[in-house]
Amino acid sequence: MPNPTALTPYPVTITKIVDETSDVKTFTVEFDDPEVMDNFGNKPGQVCMLSVFGEGESTISITSSPTRGKFLEFTVKRVGRLTEVLHQMEVGQKFGVRGPYGNWFPYEAMKGKDLFFVGGGFALAPIRSLIDFALSDQYRSDYGKVEVLYGARSVDDMCFKGDLAERWPKLHNTGIYTTIDRPQDDWKGHVGFVPNYVEEVAPSPKNKVAIIAGPPIMIKFTLPVFAKLGFKDEQIITTLEMRMKCCLGKCGRCNIGSKFVCVDGPVFSQAELKGMPKEY
Amino acid sequence: MKAKIVNKGQLSGLLDKLAKDYDLVAPVKEETITLFKKISSAQDAFLDYTNSDVSPKGCFLPQSEKIFSYTYTGDSLEIVKPESAKKTVLFGARPCDIKAITTLDPVFEGEKFGDEFYSSKRENTVIIGLSCSKVLSTCFCYAFGGGPCDGTGSDLLFTEIGDKYYVEINTDKGQALVDANSQFFSSESTDQLAKDKEELAKKLAGEFVKKVDLTGVKELLDSDFELAYWDEDPYKKCIGCGTCTYVCPTCHCFDIFDFTTGDITGDRIRCWDSCMYPEYTLMAGGHNPRPTRKERIRNRFMHKLKYHLDRYNMVGCVGCGRCIRKCPVNIDITKIINDLKEVAQNA
Repeated sequence: MPNPTALTPYPVTITKIVDETSDVKTFTVEFDDPEVMDNFGNKPGQVCMLSVFGEGESTISITSSPTRGKFLEFTVKRVGRLTEVLHQMEVGQKFGVRGPYGNWFPYEAMKGKDLFFVGGGFALAPIRSLIDFALSDQYRSDYGKVEVLYGARSVDDMCFKGDLAERWPKLHNTGIYTTIDRPQDDWKGHVGFVPNYVEEVAPSPKNKVAIIAGPPIMIKFTLPVFAKLGFKDEQIITTLEMRMKCCLGKCGRCNIGSKFVCVDGPVFSQAELKGMPKEY
Repeated sequence: MKAKIVNKGQLSGLLDKLAKDYDLVAPVKEETITLFKKISSAQDAFLDYTNSDVSPKGCFLPQSEKIFSYTYTGDSLEIVKPESAKKTVLFGARPCDIKAITTLDPVFEGEKFGDEFYSSKRENTVIIGLSCSKVLSTCFCYAFGGGPCDGTGSDLLFTEIGDKYYVEINTDKGQALVDANSQFFSSESTDQLAKDKEELAKKLAGEFVKKVDLTGVKELLDSDFELAYWDEDPYKKCIGCGTCTYVCPTCHCFDIFDFTTGDITGDRIRCWDSCMYPEYTLMAGGHNPRPTRKERIRNRFMHKLKYHLDRYNMVGCVGCGRCIRKCPVNIDITKIINDLKEVAQNA
């Protein structure tokens, strides 16, 4: 059904802000009209357009799982004008949200399987929605072991520390592996790059799906490791980022070949990506 | 098909009446430029043109358009949406430009999301086409199934024959307009004019200068994204001015931004954008998936000849020839098509 108000955002109020790192914050927001949330129907992996009035809009993935409550979380890195203004906002203030847009992780097809997540730096954000979805009371029994391998440049660059160190390890049948690029005095955990750590942990491809998100360089070196471990292209899922203005498949700029990332993506399997031009 | 006749002497009366009952958009001449604008009387219309400099796509996707106004203090937010579209008549659009509108329809009205701004204008507009009486040296509408007297997409199509306009009534919307203004439409027999129109169409079909052969082009583009052709001509010539995209009647890319009108007020605007500019795909983090003109040129022509076809089953070019006429460095899409045909043949 075409949404007649597609380009008009709904007002939201910030209810919580978490400083993940010096330039990454997670904003929890609630719609001013609760009915909007009731009908929002966001699925893990989808994105929203955030409206910062005076600056415009930006595409941000929904970091929270719909199973966690009647709110949305957005994890935002301060990189440009809009995000700079967003980072100055405080609890109680308002901005605009429209969505949800794009496809979602194939969580139905993943049922009965083990999930192995790989996240680098701030890019755990787009896959965190699926991690929490699979670990929710409601859907936990649909999935096998849930493992998360996460790497950051340094301790200070680690996002979602509460999830990685406290919340997820305590849940049933999970495996959490964290690493930083270089040794640090206050770090007792693993040191090394993500691709090498994946090779060390060596997840078996048997009945498993790998979900990867991170900077392009990390993805580039991680994909061959999964191939070496025996993962097929269909078993590797990733999510892409492109500049977007409308998120409705009309403004033109997020295309990769004939596909628009905003409506046909952002979630693609490695098998799908191999059939698309390398223009992302 | 139903048809009527408008005697030339009646046209200004009809247009004046339409200008009273509707917003009347028609070709006008401003200095040396022919473009489409709202007019208030028949004498403002400029019908002695072959192909306007600016296409009438702005009737449905304006060059800039307010999406809403906002009042925002940080703690409070109010959004006011603009009034919906007024009843409009687009008069005097050429067949290629009307066909272009039909290629925009699936973008804005199809798939998952509609576009209230486009659709309300589309619903509230009666399109009156005007057959061409001449073919320009840059025209090639025939290559994509169009023609100088083709009524596809129009509600009414006027064809100038001697001192009369032969008027084909193509839709109920067109019929309703004729019924409401019957005093301007003669009820004499249209049989002779129907034959004259066919003759005219045949004559014009033989006047095209541009020879375009699409044989194998789509298949070539389907099979190879990294053609060596894109490394050569035409991207080395392109200066990235974006003119081709602004004059193109099927280009639909737009930007959305906020225009502040006061301390706490502003308008959200959408305006035409161009895939020829590096900022178009540049992400806040600095990465650009189409960093050079090579990728951008390739994307533009792939969009016209392949992507639009893949997605909507319609070619993204209607052969109006504006990009050829307006390009400051003579990049010619018909040459590109013919070059690609050569590449396909020699592959």
